Amino acid sequence: MNREPFFRRKTSISYKTEEKTVLRGYNVSDLAEAGYTFCDAMFVLFQQRLPTEEEEKMLEYEMGEFLEHSMSPSAASAFGVISGRPSITAAAAAAVSTFGSAHGPGAAHGYMMHKYIERARVEGISLEEMGKILVDEHMDAGFAVMGMGQPQHLDGDPRAEPTHIKHEQLGINGVYLELQRSIEKHFNARRKREGKSYVAVNMIGAGNTALAEIGFAPNAAWCIGCVTRGYSCAAHALYQMKKGRAWAASKREPMVQMLDLSMIKYVGPEDREVPSQAERQEYAKKQKEEGGWKKWVL
Amino acid sequence: MGVIGNLDDPRLNFDYSKRERGTVPQDKKRDPFQWVSEVAYKNVHRIVTRGYDTTELVESGYGLPDIIFVDFQARIPLIEETQMLNYLMVLSLDDGLSSPAAIARIAGSSTTLLTQACGASILAFGHAYGAFDAFGKMLDTYLALVENEGKTTTEAAELLAKEHLDAVHLGVSDLMLKDPAAKRAVARAEKLGVSGKYIAFMKEVVAAAQKLSDKPVDLDMLGATGAIMMDLGFSSDATWVIVAITRSFGAGAHWCEEVEREPQRRFGEDLTPKEDYDGPEDRSIPTLEERKKVASAVEYKTPEEWKKGFEEKQKMYGTGWRIIEDVVDPRDSLKKQGKK
Repeated sequence: MNREPFFRRKTSISYKTEEKTVLRGYNVSDLAEAGYTFCDAMFVLFQQRLPTEEEEKMLEYEMGEFLEHSMSPSAASAFGVISGRPSITAAAAAAVSTFGSAHGPGAAHGYMMHKYIERARVEGISLEEMGKILVDEHMDAGFAVMGMGQPQHLDGDPRAEPTHIKHEQLGINGVYLELQRSIEKHFNARRKREGKSYVAVNMIGAGNTALAEIGFAPNAAWCIGCVTRGYSCAAHALYQMKKGRAWAASKREPMVQMLDLSMIKYVGPEDREVPSQAERQEYAKKQKEEGGWKKWVL
Repeated sequence: MGVIGNLDDPRLNFDYSKRERGTVPQDKKRDPFQWVSEVAYKNVHRIVTRGYDTTELVESGYGLPDIIFVDFQARIPLIEETQMLNYLMVLSLDDGLSSPAAIARIAGSSTTLLTQACGASILAFGHAYGAFDAFGKMLDTYLALVENEGKTTTEAAELLAKEHLDAVHLGVSDLMLKDPAAKRAVARAEKLGVSGKYIAFMKEVVAAAQKLSDKPVDLDMLGATGAIMMDLGFSSDATWVIVAITRSFGAGAHWCEEVEREPQRRFGEDLTPKEDYDGPEDRSIPTLEERKKVASAVEYKTPEEWKKGFEEKQKMYGTGWRIIEDVVDPRDSLKKQGKK
């Protein structure tokens, strides 16, 4: 058996010998034997340290909340992928890869917080004031204020405010929560002045704030949120795989399936004749000149 | 408009000149499409998995491993089961620079999003590396011999070991001869009282493999993790994907380090040294006119010709012809059903 390194890099994360696997200096088998939890190990992985009990509790709470969110873009991806019956891992990979700039954009929120905390420090402004500046700058520029609003939970994500409260209850609140609370206050004050409805904090605003507070870098926090969701997406995919119909288009199912032909609504160019090869060059030239195609370019 | 190409061929299944245009009207006879799930639902104010409100779960002190049980098994686990899953997840979190970390780093070197790198790392789990699905299905197949055909577990384990001694998904190998982590995990499962038929059977498989093997072998991490997860009630495919996702957190850290420490790779940047190349020698390209003389067809008219060509093609790497995969033979099923 060839046990030569498969891929070589200088790394400060882990090493593995025939005797042990060591993560940031800790033998992982010893870590598990000593009773440390998976959430403890996440601090070791991303922060090179063991957390306090309160920090571990906060992460446990958050990962528990992040895990399941029923039908979101990530679960829909897992459903779609598994309907072709690849390996279950492909559905999980697709689900995790679904997270981007709209679905769970945790890293971007983290970097936004860093930028404004740093400005508060450099400019000698309180975090309370900086929250208002952040909101005004974003709204004046026509940008969305990250961490606010959720398209399905119109009265506020049921997980978000309890996460803030847990954050405070555990006594681990610091600069991040202070700034986030200020953002929420000034965001809604401005919306009220503008005659707009109240918009509550979402799980990026609440969850990512707590993750930042307990020491996770923006991308580490993003990883935690998105990969945790992978578990539930895998469960959804397994359900589809074991109890659903492959291809998702069967006419024999009592309910119209996701990919039934009748689910297709077409809004593109009208049906048109295919030009012969003899006509093609003249046809293409005219079509290109007329320019009607430009409205369809993606 | 005249006939286009072969679209008047009488062998076609219908008249192509009379095909309808437009999309299919909505089906009013059946229920409209909905995302049907027995795993979870949400409304404006709640997220519910297997009947439990997720916010009420975490407020009640349930954590990540507990909710993995809820999602995959629709039940609240025993405290000991949660402890065991936590233990396994700690062990699964990172494995140095193995395939998942390597894939995440390669993706990271192109400056992909972190989530793409994490997704890619999950894809590293196949039927060799992290082969929990193949492993679990193998155990179930041989345990079925005990249940359905009256074999003893020892006989089933001996047969399994004999038929899979060199299989990468056996769960017994020379990988963990110096590292006690796999055996410690099993000991922990026994101490917590969560071991069951899979661990018991796996012990017999280890004993059988040790008798048959001409080199020292023992339980490895695949065998230990797989057997314990199945004793915790997870199916083989659930085990596979749970471990793969757990490792994906580690891959996220490797993505971070790759981005932090290593240069970005540009399109066209990487060279492949000629000394690593063992394909055809450099050769001149025939003109398009010369092509007729040089190019030869590989369509075979008889099975004999096909077989010869098949073997010839197998001499080339990177064509896919050397990879032989088996598909289910319906005759085996017919035999089992007593129809043949």
